[in-house]
Amino acid sequence: MQIESKSGKSDIAGTVTAVVFILLASLALWDTTTMTDSDSYVFPRAIAAAMIVFCVLLIAYNLVRGAADSRDADAGTSGPVSTPRRVGLVAAMLFSSLAMPWTGFLLSGVFAFGAIMLFAMYDPWTPRRRIVFPLAALAVVLGFYTLFSKVLLVPLPVGFWFR
Amino acid sequence: MTGLDYLWQALTPFNLLLALAGVVAGTVIGSLPGLTATMAVAVLVPITFSMEPASALILMGAIYTGAIYGGAYSAILLNTPGTPSAIATTFDGYPMAKRGDGDLAITLACVSSVVGGLVGAAFLLGLAPPLAEVALAFGPVEYFWLAVFGLTLISALSDGNLLKGLIGACFGLLLACIGVAEISADIRFTFGSQVLLGGIETVSALIGLYCIPVMIDLVATPDRHLKVTTESKGFRLREALAVSWKSKFNLIRSSVIGTLVGILPGAGGSIAGLVAYSEARRSSKRSDSFGTGEPEGIQATESANNATVGGGFIPTLVLGIPGTPPDAVILGALLIQGVRTGPSLFTENGAIVYTFIYGLILATILMLPAGLIIGRYAYKSIITIPKALLVPTVAFMTMIGTYAIRNSISDVVIMIVLGVIGWFLNRFGFSPSPIVLGLILGRIAEQGFVQAWTIGAATEDLTGMFFGRPISLVIIAFTLVSLFYPLIRKRWSMKGGAVSAD
Amino acid sequence: MDILRKIGVTSVAVAMSLAVSGLVSGVPQAEAFPDKPVNYIIPFGPGGESDITARHQQSFFKDKFGQDLVIAYKPGGGGAVGWSQLNGMIGDGYTMMGINLPHIVVKPLQKDVGFKTEDIIGVYMFHYTPDAVVVNADSDIKSLQDLIDYAKANPGKLTMSGSGKGTANHLAQVRFDKMADIKTTYVAFKGTGKAVAALLGDQVKAEWGYTSVGAKHEGKVRLLAVAMEERHPKFPDVPTFKELGFDLVSGAYRGIAVPKSTPEEVRVKLSEMIGEINADPEFRKRMENDGMALLDVGYKDLNAFVAEQAKAYEAAAREAGVIK
Repeated sequence: MQIESKSGKSDIAGTVTAVVFILLASLALWDTTTMTDSDSYVFPRAIAAAMIVFCVLLIAYNLVRGAADSRDADAGTSGPVSTPRRVGLVAAMLFSSLAMPWTGFLLSGVFAFGAIMLFAMYDPWTPRRRIVFPLAALAVVLGFYTLFSKVLLVPLPVGFWFR
Repeated sequence: MTGLDYLWQALTPFNLLLALAGVVAGTVIGSLPGLTATMAVAVLVPITFSMEPASALILMGAIYTGAIYGGAYSAILLNTPGTPSAIATTFDGYPMAKRGDGDLAITLACVSSVVGGLVGAAFLLGLAPPLAEVALAFGPVEYFWLAVFGLTLISALSDGNLLKGLIGACFGLLLACIGVAEISADIRFTFGSQVLLGGIETVSALIGLYCIPVMIDLVATPDRHLKVTTESKGFRLREALAVSWKSKFNLIRSSVIGTLVGILPGAGGSIAGLVAYSEARRSSKRSDSFGTGEPEGIQATESANNATVGGGFIPTLVLGIPGTPPDAVILGALLIQGVRTGPSLFTENGAIVYTFIYGLILATILMLPAGLIIGRYAYKSIITIPKALLVPTVAFMTMIGTYAIRNSISDVVIMIVLGVIGWFLNRFGFSPSPIVLGLILGRIAEQGFVQAWTIGAATEDLTGMFFGRPISLVIIAFTLVSLFYPLIRKRWSMKGGAVSAD
Repeated sequence: MDILRKIGVTSVAVAMSLAVSGLVSGVPQAEAFPDKPVNYIIPFGPGGESDITARHQQSFFKDKFGQDLVIAYKPGGGGAVGWSQLNGMIGDGYTMMGINLPHIVVKPLQKDVGFKTEDIIGVYMFHYTPDAVVVNADSDIKSLQDLIDYAKANPGKLTMSGSGKGTANHLAQVRFDKMADIKTTYVAFKGTGKAVAALLGDQVKAEWGYTSVGAKHEGKVRLLAVAMEERHPKFPDVPTFKELGFDLVSGAYRGIAVPKSTPEEVRVKLSEMIGEINADPEFRKRMENDGMALLDVGYKDLNAFVAEQAKAYEAAAREAGVIK
């Protein structure tokens, strides 16, 4: 069970998120006006309306109570928490996926794997690791690539560069 | 037992080999996030052209059953359901793995899957024709109420803040609407973007919402992924069997739920797992520990989702209406082989059907040793691989797996973006499970509602449609009970002066 | 069979030697095609009727042309995701995609879905599943006339299930209601399987389904009429709408398209190859047994065919409120 923190920190993030969700729901409501069939808009309209109600309730609750669910998200971890590494992981994945139509799956995969490996590396790069890790990386990427493209016959993108 | 003569036909070395190979391949495929049972079976179809129908069915059934079980690995070890059926496995599986009980969780999942698979197959063997009628008795309005029942799990999964859980579920329900509406033809919430045209694919959303946040937090610190407790304890099979025996009622109930939900075309393993989980939680003495690493949660989900295999074959073989998505592929393969499904299949083509059912039972039994060994290996590799290799491997798997579901790069990008959104939301107190619940149940709820409304309006009996049908009333009753049961029980325990510290 | 296989082997040998000679001379030879597996993308998920018909073609393709036909799925947006990407794919004849009518006509008319009907280069329409009105075998409605009488007596109360909206089923319902001057209620389900389940479970009175429903659920359902020019060989006792005085010939048409960059001679070659499979008596028998109707619209006639169908679809879709 989550224990409500007694620190008195107010749930600002929750309130802001609720505002964002209200905007999203309003956008959804606006989009339903372009739909032609009542079968298509009844349900999303009801849900978007409900979402706005719940968000307003949450905001009201946070304003009245002042404190709410504000646990330390990084609790249970030891040592420093590295935000750059987090950003790096997401950026590497996004970049390689967006580049995939040009680079193809293999190149994107090798790049993503390599970059993420650097971001996830906390141990020192001993000479052994310098050799073993990149080889393991190549083996994993090539192994999965072969499994998917040759055995499971998934048409993995080739990339414009290689056509 | 029916058609016992066919047991010997199922026991030919070739069929045994197919059953074993199928279970092993299925388990491996199912454990990779993104590779679903449907896909595993679809890949096999051309291979089965040259086989006897019964052998082809055994191979496809074995792969299917293995894939459903394999989904538990990534659910337990990576917090990512390998197949949608394993969603509810993550709720307790991952917390167990985090505290160092991953090996026990996997063995429990294996035992539960075998039990569920056997119960489902037993129903298929003995009661298929009458049970198929259940599939037909379930109309649109029943699906609607079933989805509503599933949504009551929000209160259990919203991590202490019900409002945030409800908002998350609404977010999921809206996400489900993106793209071309499945039954009305409108194109919704794409805002002119072709990327969103195909909608949010459920499995890629699962991978994004559950797995990416784990990866993001994993790279942020040098900590180990899972806690490792001292030295290896083997399979922990004895421990798992003891736990299973203690909760045998849970296992049987969940298996029966799984079979029944499997019979319903359009529900499937994910709903079966969620419903069984919900019921197990409600009736358990340790309800409060559900979601924090409670073995009963894994047992409920895993037995229920494997029971859908047998259950799903019931309408597939008896009515020619596929019970689950993989069944649709199997049905197609049978059609190409010239096998006509229908009630006559059981009487005129008993050789095919019963040989297959015994083959399926065999494959399920073989899953015990095969599953334990593969599971052990999966667990060991996850805890021993250095972080610098584990994180990129998992990240790469999520990318290739997501791509493979619909051969779509857009899905990969959507998966990553959803993952980042999910990570932020989770930090702000909106846990991912209600979102996923909305995403999965939204489509079923909407279709059921719209269809029931259309029929009800046409026959000028909307009240009767929504509140006048016996099966609906039963589901509504269950919904109310699971909503208010915690309150009632609190009242009771207060009256009795009993204390429940944990 | 043996002879067929021998012919197959020889033709492979011939094809391969031609391929080699083509490489040597550096001139691409249409006869050498195909010399590697051909990708066949289905813009829907596995297990649907588009998948099953493709699987039927798969084994014959291998027998006749010696190369594998590799089926892959690209579902999403009711097919639109696949079709919007088709013209960006490599046009060397080794990539083709299934196309469906009325989908490729109706979808682009609704909103911008990334492709237009005329952008799609179809090479062959190989079959269609004719629309049919289906009731339960034990239903009081014995004939199409019974159905019309019931609908006239209870306007709007006759519920009919069908697969989706803006689909062949839905448009047929709209067109038929107009022709027979009746008002029925169409209940859309996701896919034919669920629409049939609703009929068998008595959730609806009747179904706008396909002839394939009659084949799959023989004995449990009754076809009242089929939307074909002539009666279906598998259902000689079921009248056509035309016989009963309604000019309705429609269904879900399936064909194959290639990327725009595919050279003219390869398009023609593919069209001939698919026609060859279609002409195979065993293939015809299998398809007809499943309740399908074969169709032979080759590359040259395809545009005119689609354009003609499109007119009727567009009118019905407008009537149905699927497009504005």
